[in-house]
Amino acid sequence: MENTWNELYNLQPTVMKLIKNALIKDRIAHAYLFEGMRGTGKKEIGLYFAKALFCLNLKDGFQPCEQCIHCQRINHGNHPDLHIVEPDGASIKKEQIHLLQQEFSKKGMESSQKFYMLIGADQMTTNAANSLLKFLEEPNQKTTAILITENIQKILPTIYSRCQHVSFKPLSKNEMIRLLVNKGVKPEKAPLYAHLTNNVEEALEMKEDEWFLQAQKIVLKLYEILSKNQLMDALLFLHSDWLSHFKERSQIDTGLDMLLYIYKDLLYIQLDSDDMLVYPDQKNDWQKNALQVSKEKLANQILAILETKKRLQSNVNGPLLMEQLLIKLQEGSNFV
Amino acid sequence: MMKFYIQKERLIKSVQDVMKAVASRTTIPILVGIKIDATEEGVAFTGSDSDISIKSFIPKEEDDLEIVDIVETGSIVLQARFFGEIVKKLPEAIVEIVVEDQFKTIIRSGNAEFVIHGLDAEEYPRLPQIEEEKSYTMPTDLLKTLIKQTVFAVSTSETRPILTGVNWTFANNELTAVATDSHRLALKKAPLQSNIENNSVYNIVIPGKSLNELTKVLEDSNEPIQFVVTENQILFKAKNLLFFSRLLEGKYPDTSKLVPTESNTDVKLNSKDFLQAVDRASLLAREGKNNVIKFSTLEAGTIEISSYTPEIGKVVEKVKSLAMDGEEIKISFSAKYMMDALRAIDGTEVTIYFTGAMRPFIIKSNVDESILQLLLPVRTF
Repeated sequence: MENTWNELYNLQPTVMKLIKNALIKDRIAHAYLFEGMRGTGKKEIGLYFAKALFCLNLKDGFQPCEQCIHCQRINHGNHPDLHIVEPDGASIKKEQIHLLQQEFSKKGMESSQKFYMLIGADQMTTNAANSLLKFLEEPNQKTTAILITENIQKILPTIYSRCQHVSFKPLSKNEMIRLLVNKGVKPEKAPLYAHLTNNVEEALEMKEDEWFLQAQKIVLKLYEILSKNQLMDALLFLHSDWLSHFKERSQIDTGLDMLLYIYKDLLYIQLDSDDMLVYPDQKNDWQKNALQVSKEKLANQILAILETKKRLQSNVNGPLLMEQLLIKLQEGSNFV
Repeated sequence: MMKFYIQKERLIKSVQDVMKAVASRTTIPILVGIKIDATEEGVAFTGSDSDISIKSFIPKEEDDLEIVDIVETGSIVLQARFFGEIVKKLPEAIVEIVVEDQFKTIIRSGNAEFVIHGLDAEEYPRLPQIEEEKSYTMPTDLLKTLIKQTVFAVSTSETRPILTGVNWTFANNELTAVATDSHRLALKKAPLQSNIENNSVYNIVIPGKSLNELTKVLEDSNEPIQFVVTENQILFKAKNLLFFSRLLEGKYPDTSKLVPTESNTDVKLNSKDFLQAVDRASLLAREGKNNVIKFSTLEAGTIEISSYTPEIGKVVEKVKSLAMDGEEIKISFSAKYMMDALRAIDGTEVTIYFTGAMRPFIIKSNVDESILQLLLPVRTF
């Protein structure tokens, strides 16, 4: 959970600058609304902010020491004046806001400042949101609120207008790859994780996930069969290996994404953009294939996969959908 | 590392005391535990649900008897649920508690040995440092009476959180406690011994819930109890027991102007007879929405208490007053609030001072000047 200033600064330069200035100039708003995609470091930066407010030995006026009892306990979730509310099931319930309200009608436990963080603020029930409004409107002294959301459109306008907005930019792919390599992911594997998720933690989880490693092998194998123009083999493989592995809709979606990146790679190989490759370790094997396919064909194949991804969202039969896709992909190369 | 031997009986007592503050369900994970501090002076146990915290101290020696033998000082936090159950069931009269590496804690008594995983005591919330600046004392039983006579009137609705507490005002070595839910008000004054010279007037608001807990923890005695007000908390110091409560945030409404200073009708009543009459009238009134009863003065110093609920029926009772003075009056009020007020006053004779059918009225004891109850009438027509 510990994130240094530099790490977070690389992640979200604008946000961190804003926080730094707020801390140094002592102009801290009573409520912030952090919005941005999953994995952009909203919670981490929120906790960093909390540490900076509570820390006993703040360095340069904005860097928490990570050593004092306040920093330690914030990292471990044991700080008595810091309250984090997360959705209980699908939504933040009125009772949760109610508890928070009770908490804030009292003075601080240790210090006279309080900090609360609402994760998934868009998932508040209308009731909960309305109860929250009251104390967003009339904050007690030295209370700082951070509302975190991935869907800013879903925030009630009355809440929206009472917070200072902070937008979190999605991580750039290159930044993500760099972070992953730092965390010990092999450089040739990192691009795939970076493409599938925007969250470092999640990527590292994927790396350890048995299902995911197996999925990678199956997708590559499927492409290998397809590239040999053997439709029957491909269909057979689909039924023997693919379908038993990709069961859930979200799993099929991930599988399709991985397949899509293969065709994108072929295109990049043709274009000589090696640094954009998702599977750099496969480059040598695929070079020959890439040269045999026209750009137009590749574009059509990519289109076919995207179309399949779209249709997956409607209520379709998974196996049939996949069969259709394989036939489409195959047709493309038949005409070469 | 920490190591000490302790008498089981004292250990059980202390753990039971602090368990009262430990919450079953909490958002702060460390609060599921009881904190144990072994120092050169003795062993302290702390439990907290963040609203209230109880600290029980066992000295090394008491009356020349050794209670605790401290081998090594230190601190640890142990899961309250297990620790409480374990100590109750230990076989021998002496218990050994040892903390080893990685917060591994060994509880040994006779041939039984428990090894439980503790938590880092550094993570536990810090209780406020006691500076004896604002320190007061009063007899324990007076404090308990003061709490009982006011705390029932706090608001239970969360719309105005500040009203869920009792407002304590300190001025001129006198403590005034006021609680109101905006339909009734209870006020009690009590003298204080204080160590501060300057008579600055200030107030704090203590959550009603905390005060209810406090009366359960305090023993009945007339020994003085000391209390200390800090910035965020109030601390009550009984013998070997510290009780902390967080204070409420915000400004308490000014209640001094609510209490009428003059009256038009004074009715003196036997408290017990009146209470029973109100209780009877409320049997039917309870079914109605507000539990409202009607109070009217008749000639010759008699009053009539009645209640009429269309679907059920009606009740009328005449009560002889001890003395009556002033204009006639017909007024309605909540039977429950009246009973609460009469019970709180707890005297043989009370006087009710009315100023008008639509104005608040006050109930006072004839012997005890320090208590006052105020009720708002209910409009019935």
